[in-house]
Amino acid sequence: MFRQAERIFGGEVSKPVKVSVTLRRFAGYFRPYLPQYLIVLVMMIVSTWSQATAPRLIGQAVDCYLLPLAGSGFAAGRFAFASGLGSEGSDPGAGQLGGLQSNCTYVTPKADWTEAEMIAGLGGLVSRIVGLYLIGALSGGLMFYVMVWSGQHVLKMLRVQVLQQINRLSIGYHVEHEAGDTMSRVTNDADTIQQGMTFALVQVASGLMLIIWISYNMLTASLPYALVALSIVPVMAIATSWFSTQARKAFRRTRLEMGSVNAELQESIAGVRESQAFSREDENIASFRETNAANRDANIRAVAFTSALAPALEALGYVALMLVTVVGGIALLRGQDFFGTAMSFGLIVTFVAYVQSFNRPVQQIAVLWTNVQSAIAGGERIFDLLDVVPDIQDGPDAVEMPEIEGAVELEGVWSEYVAGDPVLKGVSLRAEPGQTLAIVGPTGAGKTTIVNLIPRFYDVTKGSVRIDGLDVRKVTAASLRSQIAVVLQDSFLFSDTVMENIRFGRPEATDQEILAAAKLAHADPFIERLPQGYQTRLGERGTGLSQGQRQLLAIARAAVADPRILILDEATSSVDTRTERLIQAALAELLHGRTSIVIAHRLSTIRNADQVLVIDQGEIIERGTHDTLLAARGFYSDLYMSQFRRQAPDDRADGKEPGPAAAPARG
Amino acid sequence: MRGGRKGSRASPRSLGRAIRYLIRYKREAGLAYGAVIIATLAQLAVPQLVQNIFDAVTEGQIASRVLELSSDVQGLAAQQLGLTIEQLKANSQGAEGALISTGALIVIFALVRGLFSFTQAYMGERASQSVSFDFRNELFAKIQRLSFSYHDRNRTGQLMIRATDDVEKVRLFIGQGLLMAVQAVILMAGTLLILFLTNVRLTLIILPVLPLAMILFMVFGAIARPMFEVVQSKLSALNAILQENLAGIKVVKAFNREQRQQAHFDAAAEDYMNGVLRVMRLMTFLFPAIFLLANLGQALILFFGGSQIIGGSLTLGEYQKFSLYLVFIFIPVGQLGFIVSQMAQAAASADRIFEILDARREVEDHPESQPLPPIEGQVAFEAVSFRYFGAEAPVLSQISFIAEPGQTIALLGMTGSGKSTLINLIPRFYDPTDGRVLIDGHDLGTVKLDSLREQIGIVLQETTLFAGTIRDNIAFGRSDASIEQVIAAASAAAAHDFILEFPQGYETSVGERGASLSGGQKQRVAIARALLLDPRILILDDSTSSVDLQTEYLIQQALDRLMIGRTSFVIAQRISTVLNADQILVLDKGQIAAQGTHEQLLERSEIYAEIYHSQLVEDTELPTERESVSLEA
Repeated sequence: MFRQAERIFGGEVSKPVKVSVTLRRFAGYFRPYLPQYLIVLVMMIVSTWSQATAPRLIGQAVDCYLLPLAGSGFAAGRFAFASGLGSEGSDPGAGQLGGLQSNCTYVTPKADWTEAEMIAGLGGLVSRIVGLYLIGALSGGLMFYVMVWSGQHVLKMLRVQVLQQINRLSIGYHVEHEAGDTMSRVTNDADTIQQGMTFALVQVASGLMLIIWISYNMLTASLPYALVALSIVPVMAIATSWFSTQARKAFRRTRLEMGSVNAELQESIAGVRESQAFSREDENIASFRETNAANRDANIRAVAFTSALAPALEALGYVALMLVTVVGGIALLRGQDFFGTAMSFGLIVTFVAYVQSFNRPVQQIAVLWTNVQSAIAGGERIFDLLDVVPDIQDGPDAVEMPEIEGAVELEGVWSEYVAGDPVLKGVSLRAEPGQTLAIVGPTGAGKTTIVNLIPRFYDVTKGSVRIDGLDVRKVTAASLRSQIAVVLQDSFLFSDTVMENIRFGRPEATDQEILAAAKLAHADPFIERLPQGYQTRLGERGTGLSQGQRQLLAIARAAVADPRILILDEATSSVDTRTERLIQAALAELLHGRTSIVIAHRLSTIRNADQVLVIDQGEIIERGTHDTLLAARGFYSDLYMSQFRRQAPDDRADGKEPGPAAAPARG
Repeated sequence: MRGGRKGSRASPRSLGRAIRYLIRYKREAGLAYGAVIIATLAQLAVPQLVQNIFDAVTEGQIASRVLELSSDVQGLAAQQLGLTIEQLKANSQGAEGALISTGALIVIFALVRGLFSFTQAYMGERASQSVSFDFRNELFAKIQRLSFSYHDRNRTGQLMIRATDDVEKVRLFIGQGLLMAVQAVILMAGTLLILFLTNVRLTLIILPVLPLAMILFMVFGAIARPMFEVVQSKLSALNAILQENLAGIKVVKAFNREQRQQAHFDAAAEDYMNGVLRVMRLMTFLFPAIFLLANLGQALILFFGGSQIIGGSLTLGEYQKFSLYLVFIFIPVGQLGFIVSQMAQAAASADRIFEILDARREVEDHPESQPLPPIEGQVAFEAVSFRYFGAEAPVLSQISFIAEPGQTIALLGMTGSGKSTLINLIPRFYDPTDGRVLIDGHDLGTVKLDSLREQIGIVLQETTLFAGTIRDNIAFGRSDASIEQVIAAASAAAAHDFILEFPQGYETSVGERGASLSGGQKQRVAIARALLLDPRILILDDSTSSVDLQTEYLIQQALDRLMIGRTSFVIAQRISTVLNADQILVLDKGQIAAQGTHEQLLERSEIYAEIYHSQLVEDTELPTERESVSLEA
């Protein structure tokens, strides 16, 4: 079997290894449910036994009770003929038409059975058969349930692990990989596993067992006759393996196409507002149509193979039926001896029943085997995701970050997203506990990269990032990040209540603490105006709120986290300047007593900062305070003159006058 | 979410409607249904052939036994059998031939059946794949066109599930279930007919088993349907969590919330699993129960048929045939069970699909909508009020103003004062709850949406870029634009230079969320996008994201260029904008608190003066002389 598999998959490099590896990994997941699988196995044996035994008992019924009279029955009222012959007494066997061969082992047939006795005997036998059926049904149901139960538990574990992995993977991974594709692993691939590894697998396994059992029964009943009946099995096997290999290849293609359909759906639905604003609906629809058509065509192709298999096997099953009846019948007609086997009606009936109960599992296996294969393919994709080694992970000897004092230090830090293309080139800085450190510089200078290094969203390529003297790579990410809060420019909110969105900063925060944080961030007034106040549910990504409002919530979220270190990517322009002024006061309060690293766009922030670092092209080109830098008349002073000076009035106590350089805008 | 729960009762009407999609694929569907009939009839013939074999064997064997008897008894026996000696001889000698020819017939039938059941399965799949292709396209098109308010209420993940999972469930039913149902009905009816013709008494004995099986299915169906709905909604919930977690991964990590998200997800996964298991508890015992019923039928036949054989009123061949046909009667019963469960799922899914397809677009073309002719650019609001779906307080109330062609209208106001809502009404993203919006005197409610939006350009601060090249993103609103036009637009938007810095220039792909461009770059692509449309009406937010000085300057210049000669609505952040504006609307709590030019308002309106001094910023000027020189040139 395995060698054959190797030959079949030979065309696809390394696939066989992967199939067995994937299966072994599945086995690992199923291991905790070993007791359950023992139950499944026992139930499988019981139900297979009942299915394999019933045909024999039916054969016995024919041979022991029906056969003696079979000949008589082929026209109504002929019983008298047979008994008449018997009563003439010329030959005791004549009553049973002498040579009608019987293989009865269930009872010893007696010539003088009365009709009632025979019917009673038959009834006894039939009730045993009924008992068998009952046992079969019960054990079969139990088997399936236990199997599904453990399969579902495994599946849940896989889903959970995928999400764990998603959250473990670094930001870098998610920037590179489409969310739609990742999602499809949890939904579509998990779905195929659900189908393939529960129902299908147990069907295939019990089908195989039944086939083996029946084959054994056939072979022991009559070796030559069994060989005739089983002669089509190799043909079935070849047909199955060929069709299903083709189908598997085709199905792998359908998975890819489905992934594209998902990705396009995801993007278009998420960006639907833009599309409508630019009347892009028709183009999007046309483009989706193509992706969708490719998916349809791949599916139709795959199905050509699967839909050929079942009919082919069914036809072969009929051929087997024909072989059994014709060969058995001829043997019975001629010498009643088939290569040493005494042929009997009962034997033919038994074999007809065998061949029939044989066909069903073969067909099922063939059909379900493709399910198992798609499950393996789905498993491969899930395991591929699980196997991605996160670039950022806790080292084996990572310790808990002790309570942070707040000294942040970068020493000779180099960093790159693309190998060989450094974004930071030897950045060194030090923020003492409680200090505010403002970073200014043009877009693309590396400001965001610096702040991304502190909660260890990315790792440095050279140098080190230390907090309180501890390298961030030496401590667990959880203990590190739990003491750092980040306010991003893009304030992502969850479709949950306002209350829960703020609580996101610290799950154990009380409602009072959340209200206080919202007040601090001056989010309180607008929240109160929402239909259900703090209990208002936000739409996906906070739809229903203006961007300014979303930012206020993000600030509240950081406030509730009460971090030792605060990282702030200021987004001045998102909030109107009036609200902005309120936030400035709030931030001043929030920053107080915490080490803060701020990508600054506000003059007030820079002025209040203990240190200002000017970054350009990945290097710190100037450092000092607002006043010393201004006096130095370098890069910063240029920046100030053009960018920040207009904010100067904001800092004035009265704030009534426009900036000193209120020149006409279009000079 | 709120919309999704109601009307969740699966109605057979939706399913019927889904099935009618097959009419579009007459050829495939016709072949599939034709094939299912032929294949089923061929299947029905096989047991009869098996009986022929058995009878041939029995008759042949009895004949030869009789012929072996002494001649006087022979005659008596033949007489008893109602046959002549010649017939017996013919039976004895012809038995083998009959056997072989019947065997050959079985093979032919098997081939016919194989061929036609392949046709049935393949054509069924083709038809159903085509139907699901149509469903997905229609869903996609509908989702693309549903108004903003619909998207405000529905989550991406949930909409996605409908276009994937629900479509697949309906497809499975149309492609397999329905064909199977036809097959089951033919098989059952044909078998019953044959059974009655073969042996009425035996048929009557097993007949009561059938309604029993039916009842079992009905009960099952009734219990299972709501369960499936629950399972489906739990799956949606699970997906929604996942989707959000992925979209907000950075926040999740920043706040160290992996554990909590995980717990959230774990609970949802557990919930979903329990839902599935509840259904499975039913399913796993239903099928063995059906199987048991089928087997009990066989046992009954064995006993009563056996008694008849003992009683001499049945032949072994007939019994064998009966028993084989009995299998045929239980196959459909088992199939019906499968179909019932599939149908329950498909009906629920069809409902969910049509719920979207039938969703009313709050903003929609009316049948008598006319295309908006090329516009001059006059925009008038007449007593416009607006309330968001489900909200009590209006966001805008009684807004009236007129913007003449080419004018710049600056909008000022606090966060949440209604500025964004107001501009959303101009391209008719939402319809006013009250009042009218007119362009060149055309009520927006009476013009075709496309013709309206084509003439409006929008640049907002938050820019979504789509997977594709930079060129595709600039040509987003006009995909037929030539590369020259794209470059011209990009140059005017001060985007050309940075685009050329990418190795692939205009053909550079931007990631799913435009991840590889900075905020300032995205904003300039958005400006180029709007410029390319050359719209008569422009809506923009003149703020610049936190970008460096030079970029900010460039963006501001580009925005100013963009506004020239167009009716522009600007959410104003810059002093120059309000100074140059022909009209300034100061919004406060959804009302126009003041209206006029800068000079007028500075004199008249206290709130304007306050906003002017506190909110607005000056234009950026370039720091170095060299650069300002180069820009003047």
